[in-house]
This record gives sequence, structure tokens and C-alpha cells, in this order.
Amino acid sequence: MDGPIIEVKNLSKKFGTFEAIKDVSFSVNKGDVFGFLGPNGAGKSTTIRCMLSLIAPNSGTIAIFGKNLANHRTQILKNIGCIIEKPDFYRYLSAEKNLEMFARISGRDSSKKEIQEMLEFVGLDGRGKDKVKGFSHGMKQRLGIAQTLLHKPDLIILDEPTTGLDPQGIIEVRNLILRLKTEQQKTVLLSSHQLSEIEIIANRMVIINKGKSMIEGSVDALVNEQDLLLQIDVSDHQNAMKAIELEFPALHVKHLHGAIIEIALEKEMVPKINYFLVNKGFSIHSLEPKRKLEDFFMKIIQE
Amino acid sequence: MLVRNTYNEFIKIIAKPRSYIGLGVLTALIFVILFAMKADGSSFISFVTSSFEQTLTFNGNILNGNLIAFIILQMLIVHIPLLVALVTGDLISGEAAMGTIRMLATKPISRTNIVLSKFIAGAVYTLILTLWLAFLALVVVKWMFGTGDLIVLNSNGLIILQEQDIMWRYLCSFFVAYLALLTVSSLSICLSAFAENSIGPIVSTMGIIILFTIIGSMDVTVFDSIKKFLFTTHMASWRSFFEDPINLKDIWQSILILILHNILFVVIAVLKFNKKDITS
Amino acid sequence: MKNLLVIYFLFFSFLSFSQTSDQIIAQLITKINLVKDYSVKASIKADIPMIKILPVNATIYFKQKDKFKVVTKGIAILPKQGFTDVSNFLSKKGSYVCVDGGTKVLNGILTNMITVIPTVENSEIILAKLWIDTKRKLIIKTDLTTRGSGSVTIDYQYAAQVAYGLPDQIIFTVDVKKFKMPKSVSGNVNQSNAKTSQKKTGTITIKLSSYVINKGISDEFFKKKN
Repeated sequence: MDGPIIEVKNLSKKFGTFEAIKDVSFSVNKGDVFGFLGPNGAGKSTTIRCMLSLIAPNSGTIAIFGKNLANHRTQILKNIGCIIEKPDFYRYLSAEKNLEMFARISGRDSSKKEIQEMLEFVGLDGRGKDKVKGFSHGMKQRLGIAQTLLHKPDLIILDEPTTGLDPQGIIEVRNLILRLKTEQQKTVLLSSHQLSEIEIIANRMVIINKGKSMIEGSVDALVNEQDLLLQIDVSDHQNAMKAIELEFPALHVKHLHGAIIEIALEKEMVPKINYFLVNKGFSIHSLEPKRKLEDFFMKIIQE
Repeated sequence: MLVRNTYNEFIKIIAKPRSYIGLGVLTALIFVILFAMKADGSSFISFVTSSFEQTLTFNGNILNGNLIAFIILQMLIVHIPLLVALVTGDLISGEAAMGTIRMLATKPISRTNIVLSKFIAGAVYTLILTLWLAFLALVVVKWMFGTGDLIVLNSNGLIILQEQDIMWRYLCSFFVAYLALLTVSSLSICLSAFAENSIGPIVSTMGIIILFTIIGSMDVTVFDSIKKFLFTTHMASWRSFFEDPINLKDIWQSILILILHNILFVVIAVLKFNKKDITS
Repeated sequence: MKNLLVIYFLFFSFLSFSQTSDQIIAQLITKINLVKDYSVKASIKADIPMIKILPVNATIYFKQKDKFKVVTKGIAILPKQGFTDVSNFLSKKGSYVCVDGGTKVLNGILTNMITVIPTVENSEIILAKLWIDTKRKLIIKTDLTTRGSGSVTIDYQYAAQVAYGLPDQIIFTVDVKKFKMPKSVSGNVNQSNAKTSQKKTGTITIKLSSYVINKGISDEFFKKKN
């Protein structure tokens, strides 16, 4: 299929008088891991729910797989797997039964063997017969991922998939998403507050704020437009700051706290600063680049 | 996809504990009645025949399975509708409360099919409840109390129907009773489409039944024109099969009105659910 | 003299006729007592306002003085008073007085009408009028007024068991003035009009056949439930 897999144009939705999203537009290409970023209440969930026909937009168009969602809903949803916020299941049924039931109406039959394999894949082997009401949040999240993938969709939409997971869980989900992209060539739309995750996993992203899409593009390109922020834990930080400002007048140096100073610079300047400070006799205790995406994100949403 | 999702709905109903509450309570209610009848059924018979007992005596096996089955069917007016609504009122709103409606609505199945499959599952559950009632009333009770002629009291007087003339009347009346309960089921599912919790539709269904029943029983001219259109007025039409002669015209009218109510509730639920924004 | 003879004649006629009332009743009781017990097949047809019932077959059992039982597969309606009450009432000698009421021809049969008035307090029967075929010692018609059950008129027809004074058809005419259907009792909210009976009386016709007389029925039988 030529063209983007998802194309959202001028999407708007009001709830009563409250404008949840206004003229949101973006597109997702085949094979993308697309980051959908925005603070709480920005309109991410509303946009995703519109894409999954949970909510009817007031205006705008959504095309998925080259087809208009309004006219081809059933056909489109056959090829989408999704988790919206926390995955909810029938608590009085077992994990296996839940997967069977959702698979039955997902447009592709799944055998008991496939269900078992999927449970193994998400780390729930041996728990298939257990009722979901006894599952922890992390286990439900895994089951949610199993439910999303069982019918082998081409497009996967994940709304805050790592919410409530422990660090190990977060890493596992992240690795899974990467595997989906690299091994299975899936297209993934991922909405998350975990900016570091988006930076690591996503290749393209859109930032949405107050119901409007602010900026869209490749993660690298957007992020690398910005300077690196280098944090240095250095002895005699005051003299170190003066020395740097004298030697490199174009650089902006600021004191953060304690013995830590921060410099905005290009990546190539990092070894030069390191060499300069060591040569000047300063002791460097640590040298750490700050996550630029976070800064970029804060800058965008404050505009 | 409708068949598949309906099958899913059956699985959910079978797995939910509350589905068995209805069957359990129904069974318990019936056995309470049987115990009462065994212990002091003659008092109940005196109540039925009291207007005549000054002048007449009634001989024979009055307190038999046919009479007790009739008494049990009388419960249809209030008690069994609640047991139906307990399960069917939860079918859509219960999923909204649980969050699974969100999962369901992102599947490649139309919203209309989702609603229709719930109506079908609700109809089957109601049928099971009715068949269980029929089994207890017509088989178990007869095994305990034997059979005999049936004495029925209505506002026209007493009718005594002969034993061989009763079973077909019961079969017809259970059909109409099922239609009445199906209307309750449809109403509760329809209300469930508007709610995000289980209690609202169940209480609203019972509230509507009680309100309409009261309106239907009041001898007030202002209500006369609307009474025949209230579905509760026709919920008791199963009793018409125990008249002599049977007023078929009235029965067909009741059947038609109940069917129309069912269609109305289905249409409203489908329209509402199709337009609903799922934000839970 | 002539007037004296008339008065004398009327006095003794009256005296002889009064004796005849008691004698008639006594002869009737003697005949009634011929039957110690019986069972009989009955076909019961009730035509009572506000009651709809098809004819019912039953077997009626009786044993002196007042044991009575109806065995039927279905439900049979019988009058509360009138089946055994007359013979039971008459058998209590000394508890009533008889008053001659003249003669009347009923259904081609010459009968003597005797009014029986109880002399004891709390008698259920307040007044009984009997039309008796003195020739055959048979009651042709009874008109009972009772304390709690209103009035009941009983017409008797005899055929096979004339010798025992057992009828082959009895027609009860009962008083139904008091029947009234309350709205709430029906339980059908769709029928809201309470009805009262328009007719004042109803009839129960019992055809009796295949009597089995004096074969012995145990007291236990009458105590057992059907």
C-alpha cells in the first residue's frame, strides 16, 4: 500500500462546550514506531479513541490503510490491535478464556495452541487457566499485549502501555515494541508520558498540546536540532564556569546545584570541554548529557 | 460476527455468578410456596372460595399441582421480572463499568451487532428462566401435589377447568409469559445502553414496571386511554388462557403490543449505542 | 246440635290430621333408617351465577347418622346444606314440632306439606318445609331455611331405589344473593371491575345411579383424606 498507514486531517472533537481536540493532523508511515506525545489532558486519548471509532469526531477525516474509517470501520479494525489506557478483561473468566473471546471477534480465528504460545510470549505461561481477577496490573498489561497481537494485526496502537509497570516491565514492553518493528515489520503508534521511551523507540512523533498538534517529524531530526545539555560535576565549579566562558564565549554555562554546572553545546564539543577542564587542573567527577527530548518537549508545550 | 459475539455473550452469562442468583432465588421462592401450601394450603383455598362457602362446599383435590402452578405463575407480576433485570440490566452498562466495552468496541464488529448479540443472549437467558419456572411449576409441583381440576378466581367469578383441559392452556400461557419477561429483558438492556453502571438500569426497570402497574390498576378516567399501550397491562395476559371462553382477540392484541415494545426497545438501544462516545 | 256436630267433627279431623303429620314423619324416619350406609355414582351439574364448571362425576358415600364423603377426580360443587341435614334433623325426635300445611300436587304426585320447626336453640335449620308422598313414604321436595347458609330448595325424583327412599335425581336450588367478587382477590390488574351476581339463585343437579346399599363402610374410610 502506498501512502501513509494512518492519515489524520483536521480532527476536532467537542464534549459539550469543551474543545478536546481541534484541527489535529498527522500521518504515520508503514513501519514507523510513531510517538504520540503530550501532557495530561492534551487530547491524546481523545485522538486515539477517534482513530479506533470509540468516539465520533465532530469534523476531520481519519484514513487507515488508505481507507476512510467512517466507511470501512470493520475492515480496518480487523487489522488493528490496541490497548487503550489500562486493558480491561472479564475478571470472572480465565486469561485463556478472555483471549479466546476477543480472538473470536477479532476477524481471525486463533487456535488453542496459538493462544498458549502467545501467553508464553508475554510471560504468562502457566497462568492461562487463572481468573483475571487474581492478576496484578503488570500481568493484565501483558495479557493486554497478548490480546493485541493474537490476531496478527499490521497496525498496533498503544495508549500509555507502560503505565503502572515496574522498571523490568517497562523494559520488557519497550523491547517487545522494538521486536515488533524490526522482526515483524509492524507499524506501532505509541502514546506515552515516558519521554525517554519515545526517544529510544520511536522514529517519528507528534507533540500535541491543549487539543492541538504542535509539531510533527522524525525524532532524531527534531531532537538533534537542539543543543545537547551537558551536566558536569566539577571541583571548584565557579572558577570552572569562568574558565569555560572565557575560552568558549559562545557557550552558555549555568550553575545547577552543588558542584554541578550545565552547558548547552553540540555533541562534538563534549570531548573538547572535557580536555580543557582536565588540562586546567579541574577534577571532573561526572559528565552526563541531559535528555534533550524532555527539554524540547517542555519548550514546545510552553509555547 | 453476530453469531460469534452472541456465543461470547452466552459464555459471559454462564460465567457470571449473578446469573445463578436468578435461578436460585426462583427455585427458593417456589419451594417456599410449596412448603406453605403443604403446611397450610387449605387456608389459601378458603381465601379463594370464601365468597361461596356460606352456601356451597367444594369437594375433591382442590389443592393440586395445577392450582399451585397457577399461584406460582402469579409471581410473574413483580418477582420474576426483577430476576430477569438483575442479569440483563447489566449486559451493556456492566461492561462499561468494567471497562471491557472499550475492548469490545475496538473489535471489527459493528455496534449494532454488539447490541443485538446482547439482546439475543438476554432473550435466551430469559427463556432458560421461563423454562426452569415451567419445569418446576408443571413437573416438580405436580409430582409433589398430584394433578386435578383447576379452580381459578377472577373478577368474573370462579372457573373450574377440568384436568384434561389444562396442559395446553399452561403451554400457551408460558409462551405469553415468556413474551412478557422478554419485554422486561429488552427494557433493561435498552436502559443499560444509557448507563455506565449496573444498578441504574435494574432499578429503573423495576421502577418503570411498578409505576406502569400502578397506573394500569387505577380506575381513573385520565389514564384509560394510555393503559392499553402500557406493556405492564399485557404482562398478565397469560391469565386469559384460563378464562372460559378464551378471548383470543385480547390475547393477540397483548402479544402484538408486547412484540412492538420489544422492537421499540431494541431500536432505541441500537440507536443510542451507535451514537455513544465510549470514554470509559 | 248440628253446629255442635260440625265443631266436633272439625276438632277430631284436626286431631286426627295432626297425628298424621307426626306419624308421617315417623314413618319417613323408619324408611330412612332402612339404609345404614350406601355408596352411589353421581353426576353433578352446577348452574350457579359467577361459577363456571362442567359436569363432574363423583362417588358419594353415606353412613348413618351423618357421615358423608364425596370422592371425585376433579372438583365437585355441592350445597353446604341439604344432603344429609334433613334426615339428620328429622332423626332427633323431640327437637322439633310438626305443623300440617295441607296437601299439594307436585309433578303429578299428591303430597302432604309439613312444616317442621325446631324447638332447640342453635339449630342450624331454622325452618324446614317438607312435601311428602305419604303413600310411598318419600320426600318429594324440601325447603330449608338455615342459620348460616340461607335458603335451599331440594327437589327429589325416585326410580330404582324407591324401596329404600333413595332418589335417582336431586335438584338443589341455592340462594346466591351474597356472592360478590372483590377486585383485589382476582390478582389480575387488567380486570378492574368488581362484579356482583345478578341472579338470586343457582341450581345443582345431581343424577344418582348404581347404589350399593348396606354393604358396610368403615368409619375410618370417612376420616381418610382422598
